[in-house]
Amino acid sequence: MVPTAMVFKAKLWTQLAPTFKTTLRKRTPFKQILVAALLFVGLAAWSGARAVHGISTLAGQADTARQSSQESSESWLTEFDNICAKTEDAMTFSQEELTVLIRRCDNLQPQIEKLDESRKKVYLERLRKCRGLYAYVLDAKRKDKK
Amino acid sequence: MNTKIFTALFLVLVFCGLALSQTGVKKKRPLPYEYGRVIINNYSEKTDIAPVVFEHWIHRSMFTCRVCHVDIGFAMKSGGTDIKAADNARGYYCGTCHNGKMVAEGKTVFAACSRQTNLDDEKRCVRCHSYGQRVASDFDFFQFSQPLPKERFGNGLDWEKSEELGLIKPATSLPGLSAARNSLAVQKDFALNPKVEGMPDIIFSHKKHTVWNGCELCHPDIFMGVKRGTVKYSMVDISQGKSCGACHTTVAFPLTDCQRCHSKPVQP
Amino acid sequence: MPTSSMQKGKTRNENPRGLLRFALACGILLLPCIASAQIYLPRPAPEPSEYGKVILDNYSGAEPGAVVFDHWMHRSKFTCRVCHVDIGFAMQAKATGINAKSNSEGFHCGACHDGKRMFEGKTIFAACSGVPNNQCYRCHSLGKNGVRKYEYKEFTAKLPKGIYGVNWEAAEKSRAIKPVDFVEGLSVRMTQMRRRADFSVDAAYPWVEPINFSHEKHAIWNGCELCHPEIFPSAQKGTIRFSMFSNIEGRGCGACHGKVAFPLNNCSGCHSRAPVWVP
Repeated sequence: MVPTAMVFKAKLWTQLAPTFKTTLRKRTPFKQILVAALLFVGLAAWSGARAVHGISTLAGQADTARQSSQESSESWLTEFDNICAKTEDAMTFSQEELTVLIRRCDNLQPQIEKLDESRKKVYLERLRKCRGLYAYVLDAKRKDKK
Repeated sequence: MNTKIFTALFLVLVFCGLALSQTGVKKKRPLPYEYGRVIINNYSEKTDIAPVVFEHWIHRSMFTCRVCHVDIGFAMKSGGTDIKAADNARGYYCGTCHNGKMVAEGKTVFAACSRQTNLDDEKRCVRCHSYGQRVASDFDFFQFSQPLPKERFGNGLDWEKSEELGLIKPATSLPGLSAARNSLAVQKDFALNPKVEGMPDIIFSHKKHTVWNGCELCHPDIFMGVKRGTVKYSMVDISQGKSCGACHTTVAFPLTDCQRCHSKPVQP
Repeated sequence: MPTSSMQKGKTRNENPRGLLRFALACGILLLPCIASAQIYLPRPAPEPSEYGKVILDNYSGAEPGAVVFDHWMHRSKFTCRVCHVDIGFAMQAKATGINAKSNSEGFHCGACHDGKRMFEGKTIFAACSGVPNNQCYRCHSLGKNGVRKYEYKEFTAKLPKGIYGVNWEAAEKSRAIKPVDFVEGLSVRMTQMRRRADFSVDAAYPWVEPINFSHEKHAIWNGCELCHPEIFPSAQKGTIRFSMFSNIEGRGCGACHGKVAFPLNNCSGCHSRAPVWVP
């Protein structure tokens, strides 16, 4: 039964195919316009979707950037002051506390690197000195313990 | 072939003594008002303005070393900081204080490298950009140094004693810039043994140094060794500006004042 | 084809070309010897009266002309330390940067030559006071005759002489000169550091006698700071390289010996015995 159906379908296709092919191949005006219209709509929809997505992303970024800069101009500086005001007490800290301070310095560095040129230059150097001191004291304590 | 070898050997013998000689000459000693002078020329000459002449003696009487070298972030060598006019105008480096608003010793501190300048401002610019120019300074070294206790070498002034007597009061922090710090739990003074026999031990006082420098100025940039005795300091290195020589060749009392450091008598 | 190799069998005397080559080789070797001797052996020192003369012409050509500074005059009255440590003169001509301004401010020459300081019962004339007077040419005397007050021959007539000019050591021992080491208002009295004992330094070449160095003799006139650390970086014995070449150049020992102190031709002044072949 199956082979018969398949044979029949094949026979039907071979008979009809040329007709389809010729019909399809004929470039009637209607067909052309239809294809063009479909393509245009598709393109418009795709680009519109991209644009909308982009705008919303940018807006989103700007918002977050504005928020974050307001907060961070305080927050990184506050963090910097918190970390680096303790340098005089460095010798009284334990090794764990010093390690935490050094890690905080390392986390602060990328934030400082995003600042404008002048502030980046100044604060990177100050952070380097501050982190350097904590690392130095930590090293001294480790060697002392040995 | 032999001739060439002989000639070559002879020339080597003649010149080998010359090379690698380590003795020196006695150079000019800076005058008291010249000692501690730094010429800053990162970009000045390139932009057709005279290089900056910075005098340490004016500033060190008003601020401790730490304020400028740690809190503001100046390097310890000329040209090491990459200061630009834009940085000053934005209120960094020199512009931290030289902003036309800050008041020091009853006077408003003149602004450095402001964004807009006109012809009248030239007088203000040459106050710093004065290398090679005859510029009358607002500060006269003779008047300034008159009441202060004297010492030999360097600026000819005993800065330590001046502070002890209250004749100078260097500020240890700048409001708005320096984080509020506790004062340092003091390290004890210790002795360092010199390599040359007969030289008195060096008595090093952390207290005297940290009063003006804090910790970060020296550690670990200038003094890396954590365990006392592991790093050997030699006078040759020091005179080239390493370790103690970072300050004691240019701004603090110079190396010719041997007894200031080598102050412990050798046990007979 | 006949080549020089065909003559190899012959002895040198029979081989004229070989002889020529040998003579040429000797001549070539001799040339650098002669050349280096001109540069690298101690040159004969100038006349004792000219020895130690420093011409200062930082601003040469301008009125009132270059300064002539004679060491013999000042070293009989002051130790080396007073000028080179307390006042801060460099030890090379024109290296100090003296000008009329610094003199009139009381630095350099003006530290003593200020028109007020009394010395040996007389007021020392002011240097560069700004007032044109006949005192200017006492220093600015290059090329001018009869303007200086003191002349070498008269001044050093009574001083003991050595193999080269005045023997300053002997002069001080016999109290013929009494160099002052402390100038009021200028010098600072420091506690004396204990001086190292005399020691000997081995020369670089085995045929040269070792050098006997006396800290005592040097420190009496120089103190410590004149030499250390600039001229002789302070370090363990044996770690600093010396050489006669650097001395002749004016470094190390040559900072004084060859310019003001006894010249380097005086080998036995330092080496326990002069080498046999002294020029």
